[in-house]
Amino acid sequence: MSIEGQTIHRETFVVNLGPQHPATHGVLRIKLTMDGEYIDDAEPVIGYGHRMHEKMGENRTYAKFLPNTARMDYVAAMFNTHGYVCAVERLAGITVPERAEYIRVVTAELNRLASHLLWAGAFLIDLGGFTPLLYTFDDREHILDLLESVTGARLTFCYYRFGGVCNDVDDQFVAGTREFIARLRSRMPMYHALITKNIIFRKRCEGIGIIPAETCRRYGATGPVVRGSGIAYDVRKAEPYSAYPQLNFNIPVYPEADCMARYLVRMDEMMESMRIIEQALDLMQPGPVMAEKVPKMLKPPKGDCYFNVESARGSFGVRAISDGTDKAYRLKLRSPCFSNMSLFQECSRGMLLADALALLGSLDLVIPDMDR
Amino acid sequence: MTIQDLTTRLGEIAQGGATPPVTPTEGQPAAPVAPVLETDHAKRGTDLDVTVQPDRIQDAARIMDQGGYTLEAITGVDWIADKQYEVVYDFTSFASGKRVAVRTRVPRDIPALPSIHAIFPGANWHERETHDFFGIKFSGHPQLTPLLLPEDATFHPLRKDFGT
Amino acid sequence: MDEQTQVPPGLIHFAAMDQILDLARANSLWPMTFGLACCAIEMMATGAARFDMARFGCEVFRPSPRQSDVMIVCGTINKKMAPAVVTLYDQMPEPKWVIAMGNCAISGGPFVFPGQYNVVEGVDKLFPVDVYIPGCPPRPEALIEGFLELEKKLTGKRRWPVAKAQ
Ligand code: SF4
Repeated sequence: MSIEGQTIHRETFVVNLGPQHPATHGVLRIKLTMDGEYIDDAEPVIGYGHRMHEKMGENRTYAKFLPNTARMDYVAAMFNTHGYVCAVERLAGITVPERAEYIRVVTAELNRLASHLLWAGAFLIDLGGFTPLLYTFDDREHILDLLESVTGARLTFCYYRFGGVCNDVDDQFVAGTREFIARLRSRMPMYHALITKNIIFRKRCEGIGIIPAETCRRYGATGPVVRGSGIAYDVRKAEPYSAYPQLNFNIPVYPEADCMARYLVRMDEMMESMRIIEQALDLMQPGPVMAEKVPKMLKPPKGDCYFNVESARGSFGVRAISDGTDKAYRLKLRSPCFSNMSLFQECSRGMLLADALALLGSLDLVIPDMDR
Repeated sequence: MTIQDLTTRLGEIAQGGATPPVTPTEGQPAAPVAPVLETDHAKRGTDLDVTVQPDRIQDAARIMDQGGYTLEAITGVDWIADKQYEVVYDFTSFASGKRVAVRTRVPRDIPALPSIHAIFPGANWHERETHDFFGIKFSGHPQLTPLLLPEDATFHPLRKDFGT
Repeated sequence: MDEQTQVPPGLIHFAAMDQILDLARANSLWPMTFGLACCAIEMMATGAARFDMARFGCEVFRPSPRQSDVMIVCGTINKKMAPAVVTLYDQMPEPKWVIAMGNCAISGGPFVFPGQYNVVEGVDKLFPVDVYIPGCPPRPEALIEGFLELEKKLTGKRRWPVAKAQ
């Protein structure tokens, strides 16, 4: 660059963000090449949470891998288990009783609520607001209590089994869920007053961190990230599974493609999840919750199949390849965070560092899910 | 692009013939399958299953790109008995929800195939991951260094003969 | 040393001072904000509204190791992360304590199998640990109990009665 014959040297310097940094939500490292406060290049370095899930899928039996699924995306553990059991059920040709499908939907959507609540609190911490976390965790604890009463765990639920779920839900759970939904509904206006209408929050999110729809497609982003970029893609609608075809719900879409849009998508999604749960509770009929004659030692026939579910972060896919034995020959786990993160390098170019952290937060990353 | 269009267009490049030993499909592992196979979504999770030669993988990716598809995952599989690696590219369409799997096989002793990162930049990380796990070289890839494994890793843990 | 410069025994007592310092330290433990995996979510829950670690004076999560005196290792340490964890530990000023939260930090937890290639089997392979909290993940109550144990280790007294089994 030169102005009136003078050469201006552009100097860049390299900063490491992470792997221990409060804004990276765990163990993500970003190698930043900075030009002053502006980002020249931000190269994510991942793998600090790699825990060999795919290897473990190959050397333990199908049932023994179940607890692992809950430890990938631990903020929304139900979805990973759901994707995995559905893939194996598809492979082995197991049909799930209707009541179990509804229970799966109810518990999964409760988990989505918990996940989005946690995200909202953590995102606000990224942007410098501490208070919302205390409110969202308060609501989240109610969900965890409900789920704990049926699954026995607060976080790493391992509730679904091949052919159904391991425990039936009782009336207390149903009543408690309805009560909780009423409570959360009444608190949503409070959240909007506390967060959505906050001027500082708006200034830090509106028009910041634009992810064009085409970029989403080329990088394979899914979930609230694409829906915040104006693409109405949701696996629950695109490839309906479980009891979702029987339920009536909308896909919130915002075309602005900025952090605010992604925030609003998640807030609206919470309203939709509540609708789904209520409908599912209404439609749930008494009946068995486990398919009959599921062998203890499952040996699916040779073949491979793919199954996708809409997790709280996007499309979670499992490609299971069986060679006819009791262990999977290959188990590919496609995590939504992996693809969502890969677009960060392109989208953060030229941004202010502080804004890039807003973008990073709005992607809703769970690092051990990304690294598997 | 509808599934029919894709069948024709992918059929053209798949003409080169499927690599002989084929994924075990529904109990007949040895029988060769057609290079382009329409599959039942409810049973297999895909609508179209295509097998191409490794050197046509970029063409296949280009067709998928023109069809408005997105790359969802790249899966490596070590078929050690066949002395081959299989690489499965999973594509999906935001608009129609259809799913296409493109497969290719490379010999185990020279595991190399062209990179598709120029067509789908999202493939960059997926290919690096596959390289981590299997040591498959994606030629033309800008940065084929360990992604999930430590920077100095030289092993490929998902190879079936790893650790033996 | 001759007679003149020798300090007569019993003139200077550090013990009382130490006790006061220990009491102060035990009641204001500052943990480092440092999440590795699933257990970190339970650590967040412990700090948030319901379990409220502030009741025990240990809610001041510091993002920098230089300002903290307890490291809660909550999650799996893998071989890529291990050098960074050791650096963080070395950066903490003395006196410092380490809590290994969860099975992963204790022994590698569910990720140990023959031929595993990436997980450090227990944080005590890297540096000494004061309190181990088992669980996968441990409940927030367990983390609080872990802090009470650490306080006991510092002061020699348990400040909270042990809950009786029902
Ligand atoms: S102990 Fe269990 S919950 Fe904690 S980090 Fe390890 S796997 Fe996750």
